[in-house]
Amino acid sequence: MEFTLQLAFAGVCVGSAYALIAMGLSLTFWTTRTLNFGQGSLLMVGAVATVALLGAGVPAVAAVALAIALAGALMVVAERVAIRPLLKSGDSMGWVVSTLGFGLFLQGFVAKFYGSQAIAFPSLIFTSLDFVDVFGIQVSAQYLAVLTLSVALMVAMEIFLLRSAWGRAVRAVSHDADVAALAGIPVRRVVVLSFVASGALAGVAGVMVAQITGTVDPQFGFNLMVLGFVAAVFGGMGSIVGALVGGIALGVAEKLAGGFISTAFGDAVAFAILMAVLAIRPQGLFGRREMTKV
Amino acid sequence: MLEVTGLVVRYGSIEAVRDCDLTFDTGTITAILGANGAGKSSLMKAISGLVPAAAGTIRIDGEDITALHAHRRARLGISHALEGRRLFHSMSVDENLRVAWEFRHRGNDFKTASDRVFERFPMLATRRKTPAGLLSGGQQQMVILSAALIHEPRYLLLDEPSLGLAPVIVQQIFAAISAVCRDSGTTIILSEHVAALALSVAHQAYVLKQGKVVRKGAASALAVDASLSAAYLGG
Repeated sequence: MEFTLQLAFAGVCVGSAYALIAMGLSLTFWTTRTLNFGQGSLLMVGAVATVALLGAGVPAVAAVALAIALAGALMVVAERVAIRPLLKSGDSMGWVVSTLGFGLFLQGFVAKFYGSQAIAFPSLIFTSLDFVDVFGIQVSAQYLAVLTLSVALMVAMEIFLLRSAWGRAVRAVSHDADVAALAGIPVRRVVVLSFVASGALAGVAGVMVAQITGTVDPQFGFNLMVLGFVAAVFGGMGSIVGALVGGIALGVAEKLAGGFISTAFGDAVAFAILMAVLAIRPQGLFGRREMTKV
Repeated sequence: MLEVTGLVVRYGSIEAVRDCDLTFDTGTITAILGANGAGKSSLMKAISGLVPAAAGTIRIDGEDITALHAHRRARLGISHALEGRRLFHSMSVDENLRVAWEFRHRGNDFKTASDRVFERFPMLATRRKTPAGLLSGGQQQMVILSAALIHEPRYLLLDEPSLGLAPVIVQQIFAAISAVCRDSGTTIILSEHVAALALSVAHQAYVLKQGKVVRKGAASALAVDASLSAAYLGG
């Protein structure tokens, strides 16, 4: 029983990180109706840049902040070179290939300087040996920190979207960019803002997951992005509560399958969930059907 | 005064608006008439900045705005209510008005602005928290009109405001349009396929056919011109 609970709790924590990744993917999906498949590499960049900056003697807080800022800035570059030019030619799906290409470029770039081997990611706040006692279960402090931070970020995001002028602007652009522009909303700036936020979320998620796994390599991030994508589809693209529930359900399923069947089985569970959701409830748990304007 | 000179709008190889010259005097209502596909919507979108002008210039009060983005023009006081009930369906009436207000207001607070709007359409005041997507067509049109008016624009562009609405609602909407022009001195440009309706409130009118201005004149004169509908409006 305790083993099951421990697995479930680890699943909840890892799942909350998937939810952040899902959130980042959804943000740019809302404003541009594209999915940025380069997101995974930005998780990796966030983590690798943190390691690099720490190695250069930068204090931990500044290193993490700079790495997150770098991920945000790179996302703006991705929008500029891999998404915007391709949206000019009507209903092109070229962004699927170009954003993937952008991600592969970042992987190659990092591999050139750091090699393809795993790099150790240092413990930032807690070590992997710190445990907290929650209702009689031994819980890793690192996992608990990930859960707390993720949930706090999601709540902040929800409040931003519902209550602030720029949050409303993001929703307005997502619904109808023409009407938003006519209301005086600078649509381009809202799109860029959504990419900065998406990149920063990727950076945060990258650092958090690397903290748990303890190592990072150039391929780090791609699987995570796929899991984030499954969480987003599962919860319903465009709903923050959906992303959180989807991410956590996925994390728990993955950890339980990993604990009782085989750790190699985790991804299989994720894809089984994806296929089941697409077959039974394509709009996701909390999603509304996407309405397409004629 | 809003002046359009030599305006051309192109979608690929199709010319939707061809070399149009139009003038809209301050504080008047101008009707843009024409059959479907005559270029009415494209003309209005070019004025508000949603589609680029391939040639020609657009000036408000002498200032050339042809190169400005739509959101810049909106802040200069051009409001455009699009055809086809385009509002934010998942947002409440209040939120729709707030989005319309907060990026182009000049100082006044939202409560004063929205109270003024609800005075004009008391029916909306009771539905403030309702998602706009759940309102009736007439109420939605009132929200669109309110959103377009909430920051007291100098220019108001209305594309087919009567489309798909019950006659009694259409009367209310058109009464409101007349009142806005009379009370606030707003310059209104109104596109309609129901010519008689538009001409009943307008001061002057332009008739478009295949992207060109083919007639212009006082609304009262065009209203009694029996040849108008047969010749240009497709019956």
